[in-house]
Amino acid sequence: MGFDLARFQGTVDEELICSICSGVLEHPVQAPSCEHAFCSACINEWLSRQPTCPVDRTPITSSELQPVPRILKNLLARLTISCDNAHCGCTELMKLEVLSSHVDFCEHNPKRPVLCELGCGLVIPKDDLKEHNCVKELRAYVTTQEKKLSEFHDELIEQQITLSEVRRELSFVKEFLRAMRSSHPAMRAIAEQFEKDEVKRWANTLTKARVSRWGAMISTPDDVLQSLIKRSLSESGCPVHIMEELMRNCHERKWPAGLASLQTRQRQRREYDNYVCRRIPGKQAVLALACDNPHMAEDLMTEPGLVMIFALGIE
Amino acid sequence: MANIAAQRIKREFKEVIKSEEVAKCAIKVELVSDSYTELKGEIAGPPDTPYEGGNFVLEIKVPETYPFNPPKVRFLTKIWHPNISSVTGAICLDILKDQWAAAMTLRTVLLSLQALLSAAEPDDPQDAVVAKQYKDAPDMFRLTARHWTAAYAGGPYSNPEFDSKIRRLADMGIESHDARVALSSFNWDLERATEQLFS
Repeated sequence: MGFDLARFQGTVDEELICSICSGVLEHPVQAPSCEHAFCSACINEWLSRQPTCPVDRTPITSSELQPVPRILKNLLARLTISCDNAHCGCTELMKLEVLSSHVDFCEHNPKRPVLCELGCGLVIPKDDLKEHNCVKELRAYVTTQEKKLSEFHDELIEQQITLSEVRRELSFVKEFLRAMRSSHPAMRAIAEQFEKDEVKRWANTLTKARVSRWGAMISTPDDVLQSLIKRSLSESGCPVHIMEELMRNCHERKWPAGLASLQTRQRQRREYDNYVCRRIPGKQAVLALACDNPHMAEDLMTEPGLVMIFALGIE
Repeated sequence: MANIAAQRIKREFKEVIKSEEVAKCAIKVELVSDSYTELKGEIAGPPDTPYEGGNFVLEIKVPETYPFNPPKVRFLTKIWHPNISSVTGAICLDILKDQWAAAMTLRTVLLSLQALLSAAEPDDPQDAVVAKQYKDAPDMFRLTARHWTAAYAGGPYSNPEFDSKIRRLADMGIESHDARVALSSFNWDLERATEQLFS
């Protein structure tokens, strides 16, 4: 809708008036063939009811509307208009082309956002400041947040239900696979390949790590430490079928001969830097998986791999 | 009332008042309510028509959605015309219906109505009785329309013969307007009008 004629200084030429709203053209566009100009909002409203030019009824549609010629835009830009906030005390007069940039920063703008200085920290429109009540606003804020929270909570419960259903189905599928596997040798091969691929896929998601202090290895981790590492493994997506085995291999009593005792460890220390290690996320611990380390001597590797926990020194 | 409608009507109101037609006393607009939703229009009967010399008052209601929808206009002054109901004053004119366009104004509407008085459209009637008379007995139509103009719109041409027939019926206790309607509908045949009134 156009600008109220009363806001302009001097006379405004009839050509600059929108024949729909009878205000001065705002964001003008014109009909393609008859070239009648209208405010963009006005003509689109009209065309949504009837696809004709409102002046001469030439058929037109919204998509056919065109920008008006430069000369018309210039004539409009040159008009002198009062501020949108004149009723709030702004006495400035300006060219129409700078009106919108003035209004954005006009200090009389009743909707200008200001910071409440009473301490609630909310930013509110200036004209709401008088009615503003920190406690009420904050309470309303808390209420909406609480509502959101309870919505999230409900959603969480729903998700958990879905998750447990999916888990149950998955365990059925695994059970089924196990049954298939034991009943058919070809199936067994496929299943093994499948498991191997799964381990490789998971391994590739873990970042490579370098051990700088092999001497800091904890060869006899206690149960608490073991369960922490196990949780981390599980969170990283470790395939279930190797997790238990891997965790068993975190203690020196399960390690291969080349690692099993302090003595052998000291003897073979130089070999250790050849391990391809992967970081167990967030922990001072690494994985040396058999699939990553086919180059290692037999007495330094075991299936499906080793878990090595350190006091420090993982990069 | 929507902003755009109020702004338009205020401006159009001024436009009509300043227009040359007002200077010639051909059209006139007055406010009925301060909200610009209801106005009263007036048009002069065009010269060389049965409506010459009459002043016809119109009720103009401006909808919330003006100017995207046309104003609702009807004749308050009773009139004998094929496209205007002699009973309700409702008007059959395309620009007040599907042919409305947003650039039209009160002034153009009033001028269109004035044009309608000069050029009736009997094939698209609002009042079938009048339209039939217009086509079958054009002279009788002109006399009747002129008589209605004199009776309701202050027209100068009274018709003594018609007046005396109305008086005859009025003497029998018939309201003069009802008498006029009945007589007009039967081409001023007193006998048939009486028959219809008392049947």
